[in-house]
Amino acid sequence: MIAFDRVSLALGSFSLNDVSLTIDRGDYYFIVGPSGAGKTVLLEAIAGLHRPERGRILLRGEEITALPPEKRGVALVYQDYSLFPNMTVADNVCYGLRVRGVHKGEARGEVAGLLERFGIDHLADRYPGTLSGGEQQRVALARAVAVKPDILLLDEPLSALDPVTQEKFIADLQRLHREDGLTIVQVSHSRREAHLLATRMAVIIDGTLVDEGRADAVLNAPGSREVASFIGIENILDGTVTANDGGHARVDVGGRTFEALTDAAAGEEVTLCIRADDVVLAVGDGRRSSARNTMAGTVVSVAENGPIAEVKVNSGVELTAVLTRRSVRDLSLVPGTPVTLSVKATAIHVIRSFS
Amino acid sequence: MKTEALSTDPFPADGETIVTRWKEHLGRYTDWCTVWFCIMGAALVGVTVLAIVNIATTELADPAHLLKVAATSEVIGSILLTFGAGANAVLLLILFGTPLAYVLARSRPSRFKGVVESIVDIPLILPHTVAGLLVYLLFMRRGWLGAPLSDVGLAFEDAYPGTVIAMLFVASPFFVNTMREGFEKVPVHLENVARTLGAGTFTTFRTVTLPLSLRHMYSGAVLAWGRAIGEFAGVIMIAYYPFIISTLIYYSFTTDGIHTSRSIAFTVILVSFGVFYLLRRMTRYLGRYDDRV
Repeated sequence: MIAFDRVSLALGSFSLNDVSLTIDRGDYYFIVGPSGAGKTVLLEAIAGLHRPERGRILLRGEEITALPPEKRGVALVYQDYSLFPNMTVADNVCYGLRVRGVHKGEARGEVAGLLERFGIDHLADRYPGTLSGGEQQRVALARAVAVKPDILLLDEPLSALDPVTQEKFIADLQRLHREDGLTIVQVSHSRREAHLLATRMAVIIDGTLVDEGRADAVLNAPGSREVASFIGIENILDGTVTANDGGHARVDVGGRTFEALTDAAAGEEVTLCIRADDVVLAVGDGRRSSARNTMAGTVVSVAENGPIAEVKVNSGVELTAVLTRRSVRDLSLVPGTPVTLSVKATAIHVIRSFS
Repeated sequence: MKTEALSTDPFPADGETIVTRWKEHLGRYTDWCTVWFCIMGAALVGVTVLAIVNIATTELADPAHLLKVAATSEVIGSILLTFGAGANAVLLLILFGTPLAYVLARSRPSRFKGVVESIVDIPLILPHTVAGLLVYLLFMRRGWLGAPLSDVGLAFEDAYPGTVIAMLFVASPFFVNTMREGFEKVPVHLENVARTLGAGTFTTFRTVTLPLSLRHMYSGAVLAWGRAIGEFAGVIMIAYYPFIISTLIYYSFTTDGIHTSRSIAFTVILVSFGVFYLLRRMTRYLGRYDDRV
């Protein structure tokens, strides 16, 4: 639907470098990256608010690089809501229809429907300054949807909301994507949001697109160490392949040997990515198991967080496991407790150094 | 223990005097920084108040003379002319200065922008006579702009347009700089959202940016108008006639003496104070939503 073909642009000291990506109709596309990586600039470039210095932007195969924002069929919702403070909620929602010359009566009906749909009809005559964050966000979304955009652009829409409002808003977005069939591009730095909403995603770091593809692929099988680190994989270990038997490799990590599935040849430098969820802890021997990586270790720390706990174990290399608090209690895990740690070879994602 | 006694007991305890208790109270609870700031600020306001009280005392001692002078057609005509010319200058500033202020507010820093900003500020730093001379040389009958304009019937020397153009020149930085500040306070995100919702650049400006800057436009206009009607040296260079109020006071001072010129001055003070007070009151109710941006 919309494609970036080697797009580069500079804004002061910041620059987007050679970005190529494709967003298809119906995608819920996530752009993730650390703060200052250029996510919002990329979003604004899709909206036509920045003109690239090099490269092309294509919409349905036609070049729109120089097309102004008002002609692109996109709607943008900023993190700060950006509601027009001089207009009531109803006027805000109606704005796009008004400037597009939609007949007053028709626009009024359309706005009434949207206000009801987003549960903000009781706020119609209020000014944005008097609304809560969640209410403002709903108004901003209703205003964007009112113009029936081809692509809805969302700039970290959840970051300023409290957890309860976040959940409600996520449900709203899921409904919007599912029922309206909208193509949505969302900027975020939350892996959880990407898990819940994204169908495809791109990772951008320092103005460069470092990974792009299906959301589950990027989240579970990152292409580089920096992507793995950014998307929050808890255990990232650098090592060297010592042997490979038909794709079943042995990797030396600081003297410890891990078994993992990869085509990397012996001698090749690799990075192992292990989710904390995939690390199993047992007290006692526990060595007879189908898990290919079983090793003895000692608990270094236990950090409880709600119903779960993050347990760090030193087994020559330090690994993090996520357990339920009940498990921690049942196993009586405290710093210093000797444990046996196991990880299935299939749970290890191997990043090869040249990838 | 002593603090409790201070805050609850209104009567001095044995051996204490009210003076010592107040000293202690002041020492503990007074923010001396704010007190000194107030004293220094009051000194500044005091000079203005003293000057007004001085002239008022003299003038109100002879109200018959004051009323006689204030009611003359020269004074009334001159006040109307001054205020009218100032208003015309401000209208022209709104028309031409607003786009300039917007461009300055939204353009990225560059050497060119710095040069334009300096040019906008030139009337602020020039002596008023120099500003008047610049206007005269450009708009006199043989001037670069004055010559072609007088050919089409628009004369500036000793004419109303000359007064307006001189006022416009000296007042322009006040309007442009205030307006630019107002535009800078409107978040660019609002404009970006309006654009993606289908508004072109001008529609965005008209429906979002300008309404949110109305308060600054109003303040800039009032400041510029105040500066314009107070101008003397800049105006007399190109338009000694018709008499604006400053010229009339000067003329009266040099021909009739201090008595009459002082009465005219006091009349102008009263009228100006009344008008500016009203204008400031009106600002309170304009663009309230602007505070929420």
